[in-house]
Amino acid sequence: MRRSLVTNTLSIAILALSTCGYAVADDKQSFEQIERGRYLAAAGDCAACHTVPGGAPFAGGLPLVTPFGTIVSTNITPDPKTGIGAWSDDAFVDALHKGVRADGSQLYPAMPYPSYTKVTRDDALAIRAYLQTVTPVDHDVVADQLPFPLSIRKDMAVWNMLNFTEGFFQPTTSKSAEWNRGAYLVQGLGHCGTCHTPKSALGAEKADVALKGSEIESWLAPDLTDDKRTGLGNWTSDDIESYLKTGSNQHGIASGPMSEVIRFSTSAMSDPDLKAIAVYLKDLKTAPSPAVTAQAASTAQMTAGAAIYKDSCAACHRDDGHGVPHLFPRLAGNGALQASEAVSAVHIVLHGSQGVGTKAAPTAPAMPAFDWVLNDAQVAAVLTYVRNTWGNAAAPVSAGDVGKYRTAGK
Amino acid sequence: MADKTAGGQAVAASSSLQQTRRSLLATTTLALLFAPFANVEARTFGGVLPWIPESADPPTPFQPGGWHYFDAREASTMEAIVERLIPGDDLGPGGRDVGCAVFIDRQLAGPYGDSRRLYMRPPFAKAAATLGPQSQDGPAAQYRRGLAAINAYCRTTFANKEFSDLSPAEQDTVLTGLEKGTIALSDGVAGPQFFKLMLQNTKEGFLADPIYGGNRDMAGWVLIGFPGARYDYRDHIEKHNVAYPLPPVGIMGRSSWNQKS
Ligand code: HEC
Ligand code: HEC
Ligand code: HEC
Repeated sequence: MRRSLVTNTLSIAILALSTCGYAVADDKQSFEQIERGRYLAAAGDCAACHTVPGGAPFAGGLPLVTPFGTIVSTNITPDPKTGIGAWSDDAFVDALHKGVRADGSQLYPAMPYPSYTKVTRDDALAIRAYLQTVTPVDHDVVADQLPFPLSIRKDMAVWNMLNFTEGFFQPTTSKSAEWNRGAYLVQGLGHCGTCHTPKSALGAEKADVALKGSEIESWLAPDLTDDKRTGLGNWTSDDIESYLKTGSNQHGIASGPMSEVIRFSTSAMSDPDLKAIAVYLKDLKTAPSPAVTAQAASTAQMTAGAAIYKDSCAACHRDDGHGVPHLFPRLAGNGALQASEAVSAVHIVLHGSQGVGTKAAPTAPAMPAFDWVLNDAQVAAVLTYVRNTWGNAAAPVSAGDVGKYRTAGK
Repeated sequence: MADKTAGGQAVAASSSLQQTRRSLLATTTLALLFAPFANVEARTFGGVLPWIPESADPPTPFQPGGWHYFDAREASTMEAIVERLIPGDDLGPGGRDVGCAVFIDRQLAGPYGDSRRLYMRPPFAKAAATLGPQSQDGPAAQYRRGLAAINAYCRTTFANKEFSDLSPAEQDTVLTGLEKGTIALSDGVAGPQFFKLMLQNTKEGFLADPIYGGNRDMAGWVLIGFPGARYDYRDHIEKHNVAYPLPPVGIMGRSSWNQKS
């Protein structure tokens, strides 16, 4: 599996070398390893957190809002003073694997080491080799902005004791190599659970409900299990691959934080790796989410919602809720739309959203904002309608649910 | 707007093979037209189109209640006039009940009223109507003088009555005289011209989106069968000789959008 990947990137690399006279890599960090590291760094989406939009790659400084406060990402360019150029390879591997810095102090789990701990030493070293080749940037980042008592790094040792299991990925021998490759990417570098797994009060991923969906920054990272109603039960593995590669498929278009994950990370992954992820996700069988009875079409809220839908939404999402493939998401049978909380949907209807544009699908269609025309009760009505029509079933949305997001999370 | 891109596109378009000579000439003039602006920096968008949340530029809905430009007497005169220009009947409400006077009031209080966007300075000439207004009065000032002149005329002609106190038949006589130019108004008000302005604005109030204060409950649209601010008819295009079934909808929606408890 991985082999073919390596040879692939290698041949591309050799092509690049011969056509544009690429800088010659030194012997210790072979070109092949660096290119593999580049690929893995994309798969791990290190740039998403370690690069400020428009800023120097990997120079850090991006503030990350966590339930506990704001944490600023660090400079991981090879600058010896302010970056990690002076770190030993072991120290680098430990940052990913154990969540400790070169000086032995603890990292905060805003750096997803609880996932990266699964990454093999070999892969970690490849990422390291690649990072050594990026332009060093002199950029001193003040990382700690957490309120006491969380501002004490030592406390993270206690957090780790409660919430963190260190350990490289262990393959499940009863499953195929492809499945295991998918599991390795999802649980490890892809750190999909960082967004898609519900968190405990301490901000740790709850293992028993892994990938069952969670709320982040007023978006819903939906259920990725094979659940028919709220999850990917209606998606084929081709649908999943196309979504991760291009940002859209016959069901929908990625928006919000997922559009960034796709643009910078999964769209750069190889087809076999995406296939592996799809195979793994399709095999995530969980107890089906509790059945919900759809709202009757005749309630006052549903009738108002139907009128709004017909006048304001049907032009794109169509009367039958089928949308237009790759252009306007399908709302009928849409798992994310039927999650218990309608956060993303509220967000999208109020503020609008642009879908992801990738090399493979550059259109990036956008949904207009409706905050200027619909009041809270009307947004609630139209969402209750789309969550309970065409066979969809989910709890009704209240005006209060909408009001919370009117100014938040624009 | 007028930048390199526009000129550039015109040039690029003219190289297309299907181009007829005529449109070629047209595009050349376009290119010439834009040439003086050629130093304006063109913007190039690559990759994903730029997009900003909430980039809608919605009109400001009118604020109900009170008059913003008219005083009480002007308001009652105006309501009487719009009700004669479009009288209510068994087909639906008339100009007053759909809020034409409110519409005109809000327009006169806004940029339309003082012709803020037009060149309104001298020299003024006695010239054909096609050369545009020959006075520095915008519509607001014209209404102020015109309505006062109408009431002055009514007071002298109808035993000290205001226009709004007249019977509908008498009101029609005054309006007809105004339209035909057969009655003389004080203060140099040109009757036919003012009549034309009021008729135009009343029609606008009757048919513009309710967001501007007139066309209440989209009565004007119901009357003429206009579907309003809808933008997708694909489901209906193929259905020939079948009445379009949906009620009109305004920019800010329609009453069915609200939950009836
Ligand atoms: C979800 C956001 C996020 C992602 C993704 C992420 N990091 Fe981090 N990383 C952080 C934050 C935040 C810190 C600082 C944590 C702290 O101060 O305790 C950090 C710290 C680090 C450090 C320690 C640097 C130091 O000076 O202490 C290293 C090394 C590192 N990250 C490497 C990586 C690599 C390699 C990847 C990709 C495989 C990656 N990170 C992906 C958020 C992230
Ligand atoms: C930064 C947070 C974040 C990370 C990391 C993340 N996702 Fe997502 N994901 C989201 C959000 C938010 C959505 C909802 C997008 C939307 O509403 O259009 C989503 C949607 C999805 C969907 C579509 C689900 C549906 O029902 O529409 C899939 C599939 C998915 N993610 C897979 C993944 C995989 C696989 C990974 C790891 C490689 C991953 N995600 C990592 C936030 C994230
Ligand atoms: C001009 C076309 C258009 C109109 C009108 C429109 N939408 Fe959308 N809608 C879109 C597009 C495009 C997306 C995908 C945006 C993205 O992925 O960021 C979308 C996404 C959505 C989503 C998220 C679906 C998902 O799977 O992530 C919901 C829910 C939604 N729209 C509901 C509505 C409702 C309710 C209305 C009417 C009030 C409406 N839309 C009107 C184009 C439209």
